[in-house]
Amino acid sequence: MSSTTGASAPNLSLNASTLELPEIQATILRPRPAPYFGTHVLLRVDDAQAGRDFLRRLTPHVDSAADWWMADNPWISVAITYAGLEALGLPKDSLQSFPEAFRVGMAARAKELRDEGVNHPKNWEIDFAKGQAHIGLSAFSDSENERRRILAMARQQLEGFSGVSVLLIQDFGAQPGDLNPLGYKDGIDQPPIEGSGVEPLPGQGRPIKAGEFILGYPGEAGVPLSMPQPEVLGRNGTYLGFRKYQTRVGAFNRFLRDNGSTEEERELLAAKLVGRWRSGAPLTLAPEVDNPALGADPRRNNDFNYANDPHGRQVPFGCHIRRMNPRDTELTRLTDVNIHRVIRRGTTYGPPYDPNDLSEVADTTPRGAIFLLISAKAMATLEFLQQEWINAGDFIGAGDERDPIIGLQEEGATFTIPKQPVRRRIHSIETFNVLRGGEYFFMPSLSALRWIGNLSETSSIEQREG
Amino acid sequence: MATQTQSAMESKSNADVAQKIQKLREAFADAPQMAKTALESKIQDLASHMSEPRSRMESAGRTGSRQGKVSELTLMLTFAPGGARRLRALLQAQNGNFDDADKVGTVHDMRFVFLDNDTKLVFATAYDGNWDPYIDDFATKIPDVMDIAFSAFEGWPGIHSPEVKNWIAKHQVTAEGWFVANPNLTVTETRRLEKIGKAVDELLDKVA
Repeated sequence: MSSTTGASAPNLSLNASTLELPEIQATILRPRPAPYFGTHVLLRVDDAQAGRDFLRRLTPHVDSAADWWMADNPWISVAITYAGLEALGLPKDSLQSFPEAFRVGMAARAKELRDEGVNHPKNWEIDFAKGQAHIGLSAFSDSENERRRILAMARQQLEGFSGVSVLLIQDFGAQPGDLNPLGYKDGIDQPPIEGSGVEPLPGQGRPIKAGEFILGYPGEAGVPLSMPQPEVLGRNGTYLGFRKYQTRVGAFNRFLRDNGSTEEERELLAAKLVGRWRSGAPLTLAPEVDNPALGADPRRNNDFNYANDPHGRQVPFGCHIRRMNPRDTELTRLTDVNIHRVIRRGTTYGPPYDPNDLSEVADTTPRGAIFLLISAKAMATLEFLQQEWINAGDFIGAGDERDPIIGLQEEGATFTIPKQPVRRRIHSIETFNVLRGGEYFFMPSLSALRWIGNLSETSSIEQREG
Repeated sequence: MATQTQSAMESKSNADVAQKIQKLREAFADAPQMAKTALESKIQDLASHMSEPRSRMESAGRTGSRQGKVSELTLMLTFAPGGARRLRALLQAQNGNFDDADKVGTVHDMRFVFLDNDTKLVFATAYDGNWDPYIDDFATKIPDVMDIAFSAFEGWPGIHSPEVKNWIAKHQVTAEGWFVANPNLTVTETRRLEKIGKAVDELLDKVA
């Protein structure tokens, strides 16, 4: 399974791309390597000119999506918050051309994002709570050595700048077996993008219009979404929601133990929460027992729909994957599933999942996942997902229940598993992933990065004052 | 100590009620005698509700009110030239069938009221949750339905316009008063309970 440098990613069939791939940042289209290693770095720009100089030095090292299907390692990506664009001295009319939710930032949209209670920004890690992050740099690679090498390269670009400071360095990496902090294989189902240059994998569905994910192309409604101005700044860019979760492994394990008396029962319950076995095998194709070979096969592990499961007896309506991609499930509300998808780059940090750790210490261990959620309208999409698909259940006939994996559970919350003759309703499900911080970033094209780097002090000041 | 705090709170709340009653009497000072008499005979009743916390009414998204899970949306719109004629023809052709509204799945009711000699319209609806998260779904799923109906009005930017949310919000008038009998029942939940009720009756019929 592990990819080698220069080889085509496995199981992909190529076709002609209609996107300007050399302009688009690699992370938008290129999936994580397997296994993956990497680092997120958050930077603050204290001096506009120093920030632009840094960006100019860094840009030649930022990878484009040209030949993204080649598992070319390692690569780095760069994204900038609204506060960052301000700090870099963007002209006023450019700044004002960004959508409001992006301008005010993720913390200010807590109400719309249902980031309440333990997930409220007042409980976030300090760097996110203060909204100081300006530039986000992410390095992905398939080996620890490569990760270090590319990070050292990024550090070199920083050397000699007094006006750019490092706020946070967060290493991430796949756990043994490529598992997430709750012990599941993840990141399997991604939206297929029209014109990206590869055929959709079996079960991915018809390709979704590129404009839903990359600015400057028609979206599902047939028209491009509005984008930041001037065109060189907006085109081929996109938005990214950065969400850092901390996983309450002890609470999750105790929940499984309290509601399953044997190893088999606990694993089935774990599968019912997600809709997949921990191996990645979908419950639809393996309803009774796990099938690790199926889980490991990218041409089979996503090749299903819910046509034969209209009552949710195999895959509960309220489980994680049926919510995040309902596929052909009949929803209670008029919904276009294809306009609410995001590209997910999940990155796991902290010690590996231990199925036997029932301790409360394991609830606060720094371990979890940082998600990069990519969409040309990431702010609207995240708000929709948080309001409708994650922290509610009415849309899919799950009443007041919430997503069992990433939902914020209220006191006395339940999770229903439809079955014959009567459904099983499990009481007292807890929040298993707590939000520790987040921010919205704009991920500019390569040309836009150069444009920002080359803004001159006078031109930006003149325009800002004019 | 606790009793003192409690009695202090009670006297504050009594003072609030007395103030509200006084305001109400002032507002009715120039009312017809019939209304004044009616107010006096009802005033103790009203006072008993005034000390209760403000009802479940809260704000729904940008504009409008919500009670529990149900929201209200009232639009005050000006017809474009010929718009009233077109919309009336459309509504009459539909003959009371609103399949598309039914498909939306969140709409409890809708009313189209033509006003001021067919120059204005009040559109009023009760619906579940928020409308703005689903506006993009309308744009890809039922764009024609939206454009046929709403192009009857001045300034409709078209369902695909990024301005469409602002246009709706701009014409929205929040109801000053609004009552919902079942604030926690969505359209979906009502249908589910209807189905369960029937099934239970059938089961009981078999058992009996």
